[in-house]
Order: sequence, then C-alpha cells, then structure tokens
Amino acid sequence: MPTNEYVITLCDGPSCLHRVSREVRDAVEESLEKHGKSDSVRIHLSGCLGMCSKGPIMIVNPGYTIYGKITPEDAVNIVEQHIVNGQPVADKVVNEDHLYNRFFRIFGDNDFFGKQMRITLRNCGIIDPENIDDYLSLRGYEALAKVLTDMSPQDVIDEVKKAGVRGRGGGGFPTGMKWDFTAREQSDQKYVICNADEGDPGAFMDRSAIEGDPHTVLEGMIIGGYAIGASKGIVYIRAEYPLAIKRLEKAIADAKEHGFLGENILGSDFSYDLEIRLGAGAFVCGEETALIHSIEGSRGMPRPRPPYPSQSGLFGKPTLINNVETWANVPVIILDTGEWFSSIGTEKSKGTKVFALAGNVNNTGLVEVPMGTTLREIVYDIGGGLPEGKKFKAIQTGGPSGGCLPAEYLDTPIDYEHLAKAGSIMGSGGMIVMDEDSCMVDVAKFFLQFTQDESCGKCTPCREGTKRMLEILTRITEGKGQEGDIEKLERLGNMARKASLCGLGQSAPNPVLSTIKNFRVEYEEHINESKCRAGSCKSMLSFVITDACVGCGACRRVCPVDAITGGRKEKHVIDQETCIKCGQCFEVCKFQAVEKA
Amino acid sequence: MATPLDIVKKKRAQAVSKIISKGYLSTKRVYVGMATCEIAAGSKEVMAVFKDAMAKGLTDVYLSQKGCAGRCNLEPTVEIVEEGKIPVKYGKVDEKKAREIIERHIKNGEIIEEWLI
Repeated sequence: MPTNEYVITLCDGPSCLHRVSREVRDAVEESLEKHGKSDSVRIHLSGCLGMCSKGPIMIVNPGYTIYGKITPEDAVNIVEQHIVNGQPVADKVVNEDHLYNRFFRIFGDNDFFGKQMRITLRNCGIIDPENIDDYLSLRGYEALAKVLTDMSPQDVIDEVKKAGVRGRGGGGFPTGMKWDFTAREQSDQKYVICNADEGDPGAFMDRSAIEGDPHTVLEGMIIGGYAIGASKGIVYIRAEYPLAIKRLEKAIADAKEHGFLGENILGSDFSYDLEIRLGAGAFVCGEETALIHSIEGSRGMPRPRPPYPSQSGLFGKPTLINNVETWANVPVIILDTGEWFSSIGTEKSKGTKVFALAGNVNNTGLVEVPMGTTLREIVYDIGGGLPEGKKFKAIQTGGPSGGCLPAEYLDTPIDYEHLAKAGSIMGSGGMIVMDEDSCMVDVAKFFLQFTQDESCGKCTPCREGTKRMLEILTRITEGKGQEGDIEKLERLGNMARKASLCGLGQSAPNPVLSTIKNFRVEYEEHINESKCRAGSCKSMLSFVITDACVGCGACRRVCPVDAITGGRKEKHVIDQETCIKCGQCFEVCKFQAVEKA
Repeated sequence: MATPLDIVKKKRAQAVSKIISKGYLSTKRVYVGMATCEIAAGSKEVMAVFKDAMAKGLTDVYLSQKGCAGRCNLEPTVEIVEEGKIPVKYGKVDEKKAREIIERHIKNGEIIEEWLI
C-alpha cells in the first residue's frame, strides 16, 4: 500500500479523458516506477472535474496543483519535475479556481469522493456551518453582491436560464422559466419559498445540505427574491430537523447583522427578509400547493393546478418555490457563470445531483455526481459495491415515488430523461440498493404502505386506490394471492397514476408497477407457488435444522415459543406447527445448521 | 460610494483575519463532523475530548466543527489537515480513539493507518 507522500489525481470523466486516460496513467506509473516512487505516491482516478475545456487534467496534492491539457510526455515531465524534484511545471498549471473544487483538496483522494463533483454541497463538510466568517472566507455572499452591483433582475434570470438548471425537488421543471414566469407577474407582494420539507424514507439530502452550509441556501433565496421582485422569503422546513432549524436561525440572524437581509441590503435599494416556518412532517406538504396551504395555516392538502404558484401562490400572491438543492446552486451559477454550469451534465440535464445512497451497499452516504453518471458508477465506484459479496438485485431511485430498476439498467446514465425512460424518476434523490435477499413484492408493499399512510385523503384515486393496492399486496405476501391480482394491481395503479390530484397519488403506484414490470416472475411465484425466492415473506418460509447441527442448544434457548427440541450434542428439530418464523434460530446459529426453506 | 461588491470583499478580508486570529495557521487543523447523524453516532463526545485537551494545554491546533461530509457508515469522522501534507481522515472515532489521535498523531506526528478512511 503506497504511503501518502503525494496523491496524483487523473481525470477519468467520460467527456474528456476516457480515450487517453490509459496512456497517461501508464506513463505516470512507469515514470514513478523508474524513479522509485511507486510506494510513496498514490494514483487515483476521479470522475468529471468540471474543467473539460482544459482536459485531460492531472492534479498533484498536497499543494493542489492542477495541470491541464496533458499528454503522456507531459505526465512524465510532471513526475520528474514536481514529484521527484519538488518543482511544479509552471507552464502546464491551470489557474482556474471554480467554487466547487475546494472539497477536492481535502477529500478528493479516494473513490467515494473522487468520482463526485460537489457543487450544491461544495462547503458541506468543509466549513463550520455556524460561523458566517467561514462562509464569507470562501466567497460567501459574493454572488449576492455581484448581483446587486452590476446585474439587473433580468440578467439574473437570464444567467439561471443559461445554466439550464432544473428543479431538484423531483419534477425537473426548468428553473429559469419558473423564475421568469414569477418575475413577469404584476403584484404589490411576491414571495420566495424554500421547500425543505423532505419526507422520503431514506432521504436526507436537504437536511445535510442545510446543516452543513445554511448560508448557501439563504444566499440563493435572496438572489431569487431580487430576480423576481419579492421582499419576503420563507423557508418551510419540517420540525423533525431541530439541528438544521437551529443552524438556519443562526445563519439568518448572522446574515441580518451583516446586512445581507433586511432594509437596503448592502446599501442597495433592495430590501428583503426571510423567516422560517415549521412543518409538522407530512409527506404531502412537499407538494407545492399543499405546502402553501400549510404555511397559510390550513391543513396541508394540494389543489388542482393551474393556477400555478407563480401566478397565484401564498395568500394568492405570485410565489417562487424551489427546493433546497436548487437554491444552493444559485450562488455558483452567478459566480462561475451559467455557461460553465451548463457544461456539466448531459444534453438536457445540467449540473449535478445529490443522492442519499442507502441500503445494501458498502459506503452509504450523501453523494453528489454530475448528471450522466451511471447507476453502476454510483453503486460500485462510489458505493464500493454490495457487502458480503451479495449479488445486486435492484436499485430504487426517487424514494417512495420512484421505481425499482434491475441489473440490466445499471448502465443507465442518471438524468431526468434516462431515468424516466427506464421507468423510474429522479425524484428528490433517495437511492436504495437492494441485494438478492430483498423480496420485490415486499419492497413494493413497504413503499406503498408509506404513501398510503401519507395520502392526505382529498382525492379518491389516491385515498382508495392505494388502500386497495396495499390490501392486495399484503395478501400476496401472506401467501393468499389470487389469480388476477397482478392485473388488478396494474389497473388500479394506472388509474391512480392518471386520476390523482397531485404528485403523491400520481407517483404512489410507481414502486408497484415497476416491480411488476421488472420482477413479474416473483409476483407469479408468490401467487401460484406460495414461494418467496428471497426468503423474506414469513408466511412462505420455514426454518429447518440440517445435519450440520452439533446440538449446542443455542437455537433452543433463543426460541421464544419453545418450538425447538433436542438434547445436548444431538441434532435439534423444529416443530413447524409451533414455529412463528421469527428467524432468531437462524440468526443465532454459529454452524449454519439452520436453513430457510 | 462603496458598491455591494466592495462591501462583501471587505467583509471577506475581515472574516479571514478573524479566522486566522483564532489560530487557523496553527500547524494542525482538526475538524470534527457535527451533523445530526454524526452527533447521533457520538461526535459530541469526541469534540469534547479535543476541547478538553486544548483547555489542558494542547497547542498549535485549530479546532472546528463541520457539517455532513457524507460518510454515513464511518461516522463520527475527524479530519486533520496540515499544510503541505495529504489531509488525514479518521472514521468511527470514539472518545478512546480521539485521545489516542491526540497522543499519537497530533503530538507525535504518527498517522494511525488502521483507522484511516
């Protein structure tokens, strides 16, 4: 294992280097070998570094020297001059200092971070979120100042449009257009709202972004207020996030003290104030019209659109709602330009996306990757693959509203279009990896249970449709599935999809319909053969003790219903009538003598 | 009259000097993860160990908290950044490990390989 005297990072992004990376890497490796440096220098391949116009890129750390447009000869030269003699090769150095890439200095030397590109989370894990000085020292509030100094509101909107950024809350509506619509409305009062109501099970992007860097979100919101002509902003955040709320409150107070909020911001004639509204934690309140109702003091229920909030939103006034991540991108777009931002990502999906990677994967965590990164790269390069050598079965993207994609979709590039084509959605960014031990019917049931619980009940397709679907799924997992259940689920699912009022009901059937599409055979096995191949549906499961049993008695002692009998050093037996299939014997056996059948 | 941009640039200069006056240029900068999940995993206790050591005379250290860096399965995390060296990241740090990091890494400059991320 090489020690860390130097770490060389080579850009391996699909857009610039893929074709030549091998040659450059070989040149570096040979040169290090020749100079006896192989053991003290580590080579690391990173994902896109956002400097494609200067690619191929090679970074030498410590010192964080970025070399651009390197050939294999240059690489050899850099090793000899920089690594061996300690003299950077001046004429190859790139002096571009994008906002995002400082995290690379600290974290960029391993696969988990190296394949990432952190724009939204550029300061997360780097600065002290409770200290405004830390934020200011990293060009904090400079974007706001730039806007107030020499950009008109229309200039700001144009820049956001140029960036091509789309709503990160899930729908993917072009942000610049939304801003434009709201700006065009004539009204004495307009509002800006940050949607920080994050309700997906397994998702924590918004919470982490606010906890790690609250000022970025505020700065984005102030700029948004300036662009559309609003004087008031509201952060709608769920009360379950006390630390995020505390840090937001501190950030707002500090921003006020520094003159970034309030009357005549930084001496300009723009006045704007921000406040926090707490939500009670209802999934449906992430839907924009329900969220508005909640702020107004009514029960959080959606209403039909149009009119869209950009025309008639909070208290009937034009309102601009964006998600936490969308707001966090705004300062970068202003400082690094929309043109640069639009160079990241795919044709129709620009920039990066934050995902909460969870489930059966080695490295769980918060990741941010350029659009167009494949699911395989996320699961295997960043996520480090599945634990215990288990086989990949499916990946659920988009939280409870998303779909489950099997292995053949692993090479799907992540953007709004490709995920939709594959039968899933970007959603807010929950990403759950499932291994061979996951029963897809049970997974669909789990997500549907969630959306059924969270349905506000206003419209029948969602209220009744999800309820009936859940009943059928429960029946199937209990081994009581009937002929025609799959078709019934499909019919109900399609109906709820088409006829529900808001996104909650429209997307609730997704986990069911996508698992039927991709794993239909598992549904059929459950219904026709009472078989759960993953061994997770209890009613179809029995535990038996094999000849490997040494008679240690561990299973007998742990069994809560005394279903196991057998003397010391004798093979034990499970009485199937008494067994409640709790699986404790399976867990406790050290000799793998208990098997699921 | 000063433009907003002038004002912010001045604020930045002030912020930088304030951070430096808190000891930022010390030889070692120690960052402890303090997001909700890190705190749940025990990072408050880890932070207390470092604070305590500084109160008891540990010098040349700049201690700061930070938000989530995304390494959920390795929390709590502690990073030690030193000018001119590759940053060091420790995972699953508890009070005992924190004390050892102070003794071995901060005082003696030894990188504890087996705890590295």
